[in-house]
Amino acid sequence: MTEPAINVEDLRFSYGDLEAVKGISFDVKPGEILGFLGPNGAGKSTTIKMLTGQVTPKSGKAQVLGIDIAADDPNLQAQIGVCFEEKNLYLNMSAKENLDFYASLFGIKEPETMEILRRVGLAERAKDRVHSFSKGMRQRMMISRAFINKPKVLFLDEPTDGLDPVTSASIRKTIKEEADRGAAVLLTTHDMFEADELSDRIAFINDGEIVALDTAENLKQKYGTRSVKVRLREGSGVREEHIELADEGSSAKLAELAASPDLLTIHTEEATLEAIFIELTGRGLKG
Amino acid sequence: MSRIVSRPAIIRALLKKELKAYARDKVYLFLTLLVLIAIPIAYTFLPSSVDETITLAVSPSVSSMVADAKDSLKAIGATDEQLAELDDADLSQEQEGLLLIEFDDEEDMQAVVEGTLEAWQTDGGDLVLRDPEAEEDKPEDAEKLNLDIGIAFPKDFIADITAERSGVTVTVYSDANVPEEIQGAMTSFVREAAYQLAGQELPVTMTDEAGIVLGTDRAGDQVSLKDKLRPMLIFMVLLMETFSMASLISTEVLQRTVTAVLVTPAKTSDFLIAKTIFGTLMSLGQGLIVLLLVGGLTPENWSLVLAVLLIGSMMFTGVALFVGSSGRDFMGQLFYSMVFVIPLLIPSFSVMFPGTAAAWVKVLPTYPIINTLVGAFNYGMTWSDAAGSLAYAVIWLVVLFGAGLLALKRKVESL
Repeated sequence: MTEPAINVEDLRFSYGDLEAVKGISFDVKPGEILGFLGPNGAGKSTTIKMLTGQVTPKSGKAQVLGIDIAADDPNLQAQIGVCFEEKNLYLNMSAKENLDFYASLFGIKEPETMEILRRVGLAERAKDRVHSFSKGMRQRMMISRAFINKPKVLFLDEPTDGLDPVTSASIRKTIKEEADRGAAVLLTTHDMFEADELSDRIAFINDGEIVALDTAENLKQKYGTRSVKVRLREGSGVREEHIELADEGSSAKLAELAASPDLLTIHTEEATLEAIFIELTGRGLKG
Repeated sequence: MSRIVSRPAIIRALLKKELKAYARDKVYLFLTLLVLIAIPIAYTFLPSSVDETITLAVSPSVSSMVADAKDSLKAIGATDEQLAELDDADLSQEQEGLLLIEFDDEEDMQAVVEGTLEAWQTDGGDLVLRDPEAEEDKPEDAEKLNLDIGIAFPKDFIADITAERSGVTVTVYSDANVPEEIQGAMTSFVREAAYQLAGQELPVTMTDEAGIVLGTDRAGDQVSLKDKLRPMLIFMVLLMETFSMASLISTEVLQRTVTAVLVTPAKTSDFLIAKTIFGTLMSLGQGLIVLLLVGGLTPENWSLVLAVLLIGSMMFTGVALFVGSSGRDFMGQLFYSMVFVIPLLIPSFSVMFPGTAAAWVKVLPTYPIINTLVGAFNYGMTWSDAAGSLAYAVIWLVVLFGAGLLALKRKVESL
């Protein structure tokens, strides 16, 4: 059985009197992408801050690659990559200089800077200073910086927030490649499509607590309803029929409608992650 | 990829990044060039000689006082030759740094000192009085005299003193703006003159006249404005560097680039050490460059100057850490820096007016630094002379640097 790359048990953190993380537990295996799905202020970023050593948990235990996060062990940071929500790059330095600098902090003598920039489509702009980059390019820089040390664990905080669909797709592809390489990925997002597309498992986090944790498929099955929407021509208009697949006789009715000459379209109607989140928490993901 | 990175390697990497960030910022670059170019250029235009002339008004004229007191002077041993020498003396010209302006009338002198009358001296040495209220033309080929002090002697001053009569009154007039020290010095001058007349074997000694001392006795080692301002210029370098360093730190806090650094094997302590080394080296380096350009290092003072410069550089870096930890934008940073920089600048002005530093100025952290620099540059201060100031400076260094480190550490860890 593979040891989890991230193992968290009853982790808690407070900002003064405000308890931001209320005893969460989960694990992430090597090569797995765990999507942390929740609205702003749910505790996603605070969890990443604790796991990357930026803040000390109030209580609970967590290990990353077998290293206790409270141990202040530099071996932990040496093996992780972090992509922050804020684009905290050195604007007066070029793309290559930024990556080379971070590589030097990891003690990498010959960093594969150009190769990494090529992967995120920035090789042509390697010598340009980051202040001339667009928002999407800066985000790709953030991702590439997280990859510079070939980390065993990746913490990605809202990696595609506010980006256009093309850039988002490119970043998702790169994240998938890292997971395929064997990196454990903890991905926070409030984008249900991103979580659905990328994550092997999804944790719904709300108000500092994990309210559900499973694969997207299982969550949909568990919390959603299995139904089919059938659209039929009726005179000059269109008629819609919803068939609950769990109902008795649903198969026969579906077959009957499918055979109708007035049939226009048939769509499955599985529950969206957002609908499940709302059902569980009573609030939306955009929070 | 797991590897052990040595702390020196991390700090070296951080220092390289600091240098790059510093060199790429136009504001810091401008400030550095300003310091390295403008200050030495400005220094070359400062006067390198000292005007030691003290202008003093007296009433009545010395010649009339001497003429009325020849018998008294003979009685205490003055020879005919000496009296003739006194008669021939031309007091309208500067004598050994002292220019006497003689008034026949005490009231005129008082009015000139008060500023209700103007005194002009012609090229020929004549004194012309002018009422500034009246619409009189200014005298031609004449220079306006600035007389802040006037001494009114009684007509029989010499005779009374030599006869050891009591109750002789001499009035010292001074403008309200004249510092107390100078008024006191003038009073001492009169007492000394009376003592000379009454108590010495040769009461009137024109050639060996005792020097007038204002404040600390610096007879023979007066300092030119150029030399006086040298420590202040070095100080300006440190202050300028403080602002640059604070801005550099503030930018890192504002843009949260430090957060990205701290999720690598680099620790907060590495970050603080790198900032300290960079800030101190930049201040010290620029201070040394300016010092080499404006001169001042000698085989006798170089070690003391370097030591105090190092203390100053670290102290100002501590201030920069504190100011920079606020994480303000450029303008906010500029104004916030001023809150700290202005009080620290105050002691450097005492250089321009030696002996005028008030007690509260001497308490300021930068006073022992400027005091030691002045002493080392201009008065041959040695390590033992400077020990007290250095110890005081080190105490302030620990306080300011500790406060800076703590403030930045807390800020960085709270991001």
